[in-house]
Amino acid sequence: MGKLHLLNALHIDDVSVIAAADKSEKNRKSVERYGVKTYDDYRELIDTEKLDAIIVSLPNFLKKEGVFYAAEKGVDVFLDKPLARNLAEANEIIQKVEREKVRLMVGVNYRYFESVQKLKEVFDEGRVGNVIITTSDLILNGPFSHPLVPAPVPEWWLDKKLSGGGALLDLGYHLIDILVWMFGDLEIAHSELRHSLNLPVEDAATLMLKSKNTEATCIVNAGWFSRSVFPDFNFRINIHGTAGYDSTDHYAPKNMRVHAAKEGLKNFLRRIAMKEVHYLSYTYYYASFFDILKIFFESINKGTDFPIPLNDELETMRIIDTVYDKHEEK
Amino acid sequence: MAKVILTQLKTKNSTQEDLKKTIKKALEQLDFDFKKGINSIVIKPNLCYYWDYSTGETTDPRVVATIIDELRNMIGKNVAISVAEADASAMKTKYSFDVLGYREMCKEKEVNLVNLCEGEIINKTAKVGDKELNLPVNTILLKADLVVNVPKLKTHNVMGFTCAMKNMFGAIAKPYKYSYHKVLAHAIVGINKEIKSDIVIVDGIVAKGRYPKKLGVIMTANDVLANDFVAARIMSFNPQRVKYLKLAAREHVGEANKIDIIEDNVKMSEVKAAFPCYSHFRHRLSWRLQLKLLRLYGRIVKDVIPPVLED
Repeated sequence: MGKLHLLNALHIDDVSVIAAADKSEKNRKSVERYGVKTYDDYRELIDTEKLDAIIVSLPNFLKKEGVFYAAEKGVDVFLDKPLARNLAEANEIIQKVEREKVRLMVGVNYRYFESVQKLKEVFDEGRVGNVIITTSDLILNGPFSHPLVPAPVPEWWLDKKLSGGGALLDLGYHLIDILVWMFGDLEIAHSELRHSLNLPVEDAATLMLKSKNTEATCIVNAGWFSRSVFPDFNFRINIHGTAGYDSTDHYAPKNMRVHAAKEGLKNFLRRIAMKEVHYLSYTYYYASFFDILKIFFESINKGTDFPIPLNDELETMRIIDTVYDKHEEK
Repeated sequence: MAKVILTQLKTKNSTQEDLKKTIKKALEQLDFDFKKGINSIVIKPNLCYYWDYSTGETTDPRVVATIIDELRNMIGKNVAISVAEADASAMKTKYSFDVLGYREMCKEKEVNLVNLCEGEIINKTAKVGDKELNLPVNTILLKADLVVNVPKLKTHNVMGFTCAMKNMFGAIAKPYKYSYHKVLAHAIVGINKEIKSDIVIVDGIVAKGRYPKKLGVIMTANDVLANDFVAARIMSFNPQRVKYLKLAAREHVGEANKIDIIEDNVKMSEVKAAFPCYSHFRHRLSWRLQLKLLRLYGRIVKDVIPPVLED
């Protein structure tokens, strides 16, 4: 994701990309062609350059170290989700940024899908009445996705100590984060983790959560087990209320290729009319990464609060941690 | 004369008994001489992804388990059997053996499970047409008295057609096989010249074309090229127009003309009609066109192209 963030940052107004760091020479070379200075150690980058903010896009087991280093140098941080490998680490990260008086925003990009934004609006306005049941699904191929040029799955993904968990922490995190955003406090009524791929980390998770505020039941289905090829995208949230129902599917493109063509044409016309292009909107999925990063930088430039409260992320981590603890006890 | 036997399981959900009967009968019909001093066997399934047999991408471990049982019945209990696969560009056997259920199956059957990228490897120079290719090969394959090739009945996103010959390409003892993709046809023929598949048993229980489909088909052959000629026809490819099959016929890798097709309990035309055909030519052309348009769009509009779509 690091390279995508870098490409996005290069297209955001009022942002100067100073440098990028990557251990891999191949990766460094691939970004140097955009005129970006590179380092092979992020610590050297932070020590050398004068920065307002940094994007930390590291494997889960290196996140804490990366955020700590940036915080100690007084640099605000955009951090890829999940916040941490577990709740204890998440608390340490948040305490550290508070102590160092730097700001941290977690890249929960799913909140910025147009379909999720619209569903949240419907929910907030009470257009479906009191929501009694919510179901949410995010089932893809996780780390086994196949880019155009095949590459092996980085092994840290499959090592629980390094990753912190599997499908629940990786994909379930997005669903729980949205449910926390919608409902506030949630309690776990039931949970199930599956290892159908015989890996050390779970490849499927089903949770039943109860909203303490509204008593709504929320189902979370997250999985890595399903073969999907970009632009396939098996994600939805359905809300069932006393006055009707709604779904993110109602606001998502029906046909991704037709959507890409339409959005591409719109952007082409915007460019001709010298209007602002909606970057990556043709992909639907990746536009959310652009939008959340843009909001992060706007908040930095304006000195306003980040729109994603860290308490939401702590709550998401608490739920996930509780599920893992429960299943480890078993 | 090359022999290809086409059989279909009686049950849709491939019960163990059905599978056993079908594979036993197919092997008997092959008239293969299993008494000719076979001490070591290597079985090469297709485990090129982390997606299990239900997706139609990889060989069903139950098929391999049944083959192990039948070979022991026919040859003897003490024959040394290894199930072997090599790491691939996007797959490591240390995970796929677990994910696809092979570690468990091999433990239960008490056979060796081998990563062909580990152990004794020698470099073979294969001459194919005007090209000389360096192909690292695990000696377990070269020393085996019997090589059983167990591919899938499926299509491939680069080659279009894939079956037994392409499955053997997966045995090259080099993880990053993507480096051969510019000379893929030559590499496929080259490895099949170096490693002869004595028996081919195609797992078409779940076939994969446009989508996975339960066909319940088992195809058995004593000739790798003959097998692929028949499989190509089933998947609606003209074998004479599949580059590596044409090359293999020219290089005498196997029999392309005199093929005795035995339709045991199912007709080839029925299997062909049931196979979910997929025009890979159209798919590849459409992908290429889409990627070209995307790059053009990126240059004109100066929009971001996600790294996942970089080649």
